[in-house]
Amino acid sequence: MVEEEDDAPMAEDRGRFPRSVFEEGEDPDPRFSLANERTFLAWIRTGLAFVAAGLAVEALQLPVTEWLRVTISVLLVLAGIAATAQAWLSWVRTERAMRHLAPLPSSGLKLPIAVLLGLVALAVVVGLLL
Amino acid sequence: MTSPADPGLQAERTSLAWRRTALSVAVGSLIGLRVLPQQLGPTGYAVAGLGLVWSADLALTARRRYRDGRRLLRTGDGRDPRAVAAPTLARTAATAGVVAVSALVLVLVIALR
Repeated sequence: MVEEEDDAPMAEDRGRFPRSVFEEGEDPDPRFSLANERTFLAWIRTGLAFVAAGLAVEALQLPVTEWLRVTISVLLVLAGIAATAQAWLSWVRTERAMRHLAPLPSSGLKLPIAVLLGLVALAVVVGLLL
Repeated sequence: MTSPADPGLQAERTSLAWRRTALSVAVGSLIGLRVLPQQLGPTGYAVAGLGLVWSADLALTARRRYRDGRRLLRTGDGRDPRAVAAPTLARTAATAGVVAVSALVLVLVIALR
């Protein structure tokens, strides 16, 4: 009876969402999972900030040529979409790595996000000089 | 001297991370309430209202995750399904994704107008 109760959560674990994370490995120290959750939320906030910045560029009519302003706005919102994707992607990959005691993953979408922000900075400089 | 049950204050920090996110969404929605109706008409109010509902949901999650965290760290049971709130995280990411894609559509619509 007691054994059954001990085994039940294990069986349930295997069906936990998302399967790609929980079907294998050992549960890590819950503190590590909580840290991973906070990193996820930091990426979500970063994405929301990019989206807000992209909308602000349009709403406040940043004083640059129209096509450049739209470009800046679109690039920022795209960075927001990428950051949101990065939030979920890196949460899944980190949680999976922790369950296998594997090295934590790096990069993900960080490079595309950095490139987008570099282009935004460039476009702002060009726009202000034009 | 008694040592705290949760020396790293993990439950507090996680709850505060949710709370920061809730506040960001609330601020964004309130700004949206001023700006969006001018661009979208009545739809603008609906969008800003949905943002405030999402913010309230995030604030409730902050409370829930604090309680989960405290319980987890007292028992130290990582196998407790509450250790990871994967469905809540998926829901949060999906909502943020919808917001971001809608913003992209909005910017393009305004640009092409």
